[in-house]
Amino acid sequence: MKISYNWLKEFVNITMQPEDVAKRLTSAGMEVEEIIYQNEHLHDVVVGKILKIEKHPQADKLVVCQVDIGREITQIITAATNVFEGAVVPVSLPGADLVNGIKIQKSKLRGIESNGMFCSGEELGIDENYFDGAGVNGILILPNDMKIGENIDKALKLDDIVFDINITPNRADCMSVVGIAREVCALYGLDMKKINLSYDIDVYAKDTVRDYVNVNVTTPNCMRYMASAITNVKIEKSPLWMRARLNAVGIKPINTLVDITNYVLIEMGQPLHAFDEELIGGKQINVRQAKIGEKIEVLNHNTYNLDESIMVIADNQKPMVIAGVIGGTNSCINDNTKTCILESAIFDLKSIRITSRKIGVRTDSSARYSKGVNVANAEMGMLRALHLISKLKCGKIVRGLIDIASQKNETREITVSVKLINDILGLQISDKDMLKILNNLSIETTLMGDKMVCKIPPYREDLENDYDIAEEIIRLYGYDAYDNVNYELFKNSSVTEGHHHPRLLMERSFRNALVEHGFFENISYTLVPSDMADKLLLNDIRKNLIRIANPISDDISCMRTSMAHSMLSNIAYNISVGNRDIKIFECGRVYLTNTLPLTELPTEKNMIAIATLENKFDFYCMKGIIELLLDKTSLQYTIERSTQPFLHPGISADIIAEGKVIGSFGQIHPIVAKNYDLHDNVFYAEIDDDYLASLPAKKIEAKEISKYPIVERDLAVVVDENVTAKEMLETIKSSCGKLFYKVNIFDIYRNKNLGENKKSIAFNVKLSDMNKTLTDEEVNKVIQKILKSFEYKYGAVLR
Amino acid sequence: MLLSELNDIKEKLIKEIEKSSNLKELNDVRINAFGKSGVITTVSKNMREVEPTERPKFGAMINEVRKTIEERLGKKTEEFEKEELNKRLKEEQIDITEPSKGLEIGAFHPITNVIDRLTDICVDMGFSVVEGPEIESDYYNFEAMNIPKNHPSRDMQDTFFITDEILLRSQTSAVQAREMEKRKPPFKIVCPGKTYRNDSDATHSPIFHQLEGLVVDENISMADLKSMLTILMKRLYGEETMIRFRPSFFPFTEPSIEVDVSCPNCHGKGCNICKGSGMLELLGAGVVNPKVLEISGIDSKKYRGFAFGFGLDRTAMILDSISNIKSLYKNDIRFLEQMR
Repeated sequence: MKISYNWLKEFVNITMQPEDVAKRLTSAGMEVEEIIYQNEHLHDVVVGKILKIEKHPQADKLVVCQVDIGREITQIITAATNVFEGAVVPVSLPGADLVNGIKIQKSKLRGIESNGMFCSGEELGIDENYFDGAGVNGILILPNDMKIGENIDKALKLDDIVFDINITPNRADCMSVVGIAREVCALYGLDMKKINLSYDIDVYAKDTVRDYVNVNVTTPNCMRYMASAITNVKIEKSPLWMRARLNAVGIKPINTLVDITNYVLIEMGQPLHAFDEELIGGKQINVRQAKIGEKIEVLNHNTYNLDESIMVIADNQKPMVIAGVIGGTNSCINDNTKTCILESAIFDLKSIRITSRKIGVRTDSSARYSKGVNVANAEMGMLRALHLISKLKCGKIVRGLIDIASQKNETREITVSVKLINDILGLQISDKDMLKILNNLSIETTLMGDKMVCKIPPYREDLENDYDIAEEIIRLYGYDAYDNVNYELFKNSSVTEGHHHPRLLMERSFRNALVEHGFFENISYTLVPSDMADKLLLNDIRKNLIRIANPISDDISCMRTSMAHSMLSNIAYNISVGNRDIKIFECGRVYLTNTLPLTELPTEKNMIAIATLENKFDFYCMKGIIELLLDKTSLQYTIERSTQPFLHPGISADIIAEGKVIGSFGQIHPIVAKNYDLHDNVFYAEIDDDYLASLPAKKIEAKEISKYPIVERDLAVVVDENVTAKEMLETIKSSCGKLFYKVNIFDIYRNKNLGENKKSIAFNVKLSDMNKTLTDEEVNKVIQKILKSFEYKYGAVLR
Repeated sequence: MLLSELNDIKEKLIKEIEKSSNLKELNDVRINAFGKSGVITTVSKNMREVEPTERPKFGAMINEVRKTIEERLGKKTEEFEKEELNKRLKEEQIDITEPSKGLEIGAFHPITNVIDRLTDICVDMGFSVVEGPEIESDYYNFEAMNIPKNHPSRDMQDTFFITDEILLRSQTSAVQAREMEKRKPPFKIVCPGKTYRNDSDATHSPIFHQLEGLVVDENISMADLKSMLTILMKRLYGEETMIRFRPSFFPFTEPSIEVDVSCPNCHGKGCNICKGSGMLELLGAGVVNPKVLEISGIDSKKYRGFAFGFGLDRTAMILDSISNIKSLYKNDIRFLEQMR
């Protein structure tokens, strides 16, 4: 929110530098995000008077002017056509650095010296609304009575300093000049200047406000409604001081009445609305919830359909205002207004928030109402507006105020404990210091032993208990009190034992193993495009994508149901930027639900996913990676041909435990590969981390090893293609009996010479006996047994 | 044969040994001496011709010659072998600047790196690591955190909604109430995880990571928070790190603070990372609002707490000098391989 420094001075006797005030405000929680110096681009620009204009001897379109700039007469050449002898104009002198980037220096134009430039309104950063003549296409002609030689920022009241302050949601009371002024007073221990709320009424006049309007409030969402009447309305341009203040905080000056409502909004934080009395049907104002079917055209020229959730200010026929948000075109003040009805009201913040969101309109009024305006503020705002109306003489104020209030906001009393406050803060602040701070905050406080009785002003609705008061004290006492606190950690509290999350620990060991094997860890957006399930050919629960109601774009509109989408997208992205040999993995969640739309929270499943695109990487490489990871767990599993729709049905496997698929791996299905602009040689794996984490930790039980050496034999056999490695290995194992130590396949070979659908498999069999060195005879007996089983079971032939 | 002859043989062999210039020549000398028809072999064979009385003396002499020659041969062989090895070692010199082979290792993502580091430190300090759902109810994300529906503090975050009551958590604080319902004080927890906000520009990612911390116990104060965060930041950014509190507002803490950490790059002098301020705004924290304790059924008269939450993306960016938040989620190998 923008706060004018000059405006603040109206309420506080500020002698401090603005930078110091900004720093103090920030340190007390009113963060000044920016200090804007209004005259940053107005130095070396002064009020000048053109004394004499002569034609430029070398140029038809230029004239040579002699200009009085107070301290001297200087010569300026211009091409402007609206200047004349005697004109008072803004003159930028050498050194000036105008808002449009023009830097002024002495120069010669066609051989004749020019010591500056006349300025247009635009070059000074102002428009016609701010100052008459500032909008013309030419030089700004100033009033004759301006002081020649005066700096233009002073002359045009453009010398303000503006703080851009970030007001936190708990401090709606600071969304005004007065609110910030109160904070400044508290910070410096100053007294607030009195706010002038007085106004003149014609004591002889017989009419009262009831002669012009009646108010009926029938909705609980309006806590207070005040109305006054102004007759003989005279609408003019506001005086420069008022325009200057509004302009400084970014509000366009329009005319006296409109400017006064805006002025009070900024100054007091009280939104006001001005009606044309003639346009209020039946002189009756009804504050009520709208009815379905009602419509209103408002000042942004949109028409809105209303319903019962929206509060309106209506006359007997029609809604006139969407309460607290925006006025209608059918009843607002205009150039022909003779009598004005002024509203100052308090509305429920929730009601205004809902309406503002529903119709998508946010105004200065709704911004304040939706953060909460205090009930007492309506009166302050009304009186201040009447004061200004009276001061600017823009109408006759009718006697009497209508004030319908369902809520009174009075000073509350709370009792807090000095000790508890210090306990919360972990500091030792004296009760004297506490009292001083609270009293500076206009919280009248008395000390009774350890207790402080605090009278909370109505606008501080945020203060309820010791914690709230502790915050008030520390933010004014200064958080730098903690700079030198060297406190023994948890010295007054318990020792607790810290535990890692078991799944995260397990994942960490997986991540370590994968990184050591050349994989890069990814973190992908869990939000995915809506066609994710189609691209992966998903046909089960994973088809049910959970959609965001308010997504940023379709690309990130749904929660992922398969890690495969992220992994394949990441590989495709890496290829697109020229990366090769991609080995990636990610530990992340998928979000699964049976029912859409969601009625309860979905299942969030933690997965580890792996993907590769690398020369020579095949199914068995991926199988090795999977075994590497699963070996770290106590998982008992088997593998079966996979049914994952996005995997190649012949080159993929599911990991099965307790009859459930807890993971899958293999080559990507050619259609899926195409959907992601990938070649077929991408391998993918995923494992259900939650399942693995639910298993008991792996327990290592070392067995006694034989003192005697291992004997090994190689044997290669030719078998039919359909004989699996797994069954042959099991046959070897059972044939070896007690002598079995290990068996490896070290070669698989296919060649036409072996016969159709035949393969040669070479095994390395290791035997060992616990009690003796094996003899050749014993070993040969075992090998013969293996070969016989092979021949009997598979028709295998020794090569 | 005379003893003097034997001596001559010895002298001659020694000369030949000394003269030989490589292992082969030395071997020739060996054969010449001890071969089937070598001089020493021959002399030994001829012992029979020596007078029996002379034999012992002669035998001793032969043994002495044999021993000397063998020793000399051995010594010389060793010399040659050493020479040859030195020559070989010299010849076998390789270009040690050629690139290495094999053992390609990958890298952790910078964010999980930070999560691992922070959770390790917190576990040491007695915190337990917990997790919570990312798709969360309005209740846990907001209402239990003292942010009622239509409350002004809802404006502080742009939330992704799924239904009116279900949303993507906008803060890891959503786990606070879940844990408070589950646990009995005293407890200390931290929760790392993904959070979501409807906000995407040069410095914001709609998905980002936070670490939430919560302590509930008797006698907890803001000074505990200061000490705890000081230790955490020192262990993360180095011993010289210091932290500073600034006032702030969060509905679930009272008092609420922002915590500035001295810039780990310039140690407070001011640099481009901290934009000249010397400090970095890194986390929000505060004393747990007693209303939040009460909402979750904890007696706020007996217990107090503190909570903190900070952005892990930014922490990772500072630790690893990452300039663009979006690069954290592109998963480009060229970026990730710098994290080794």
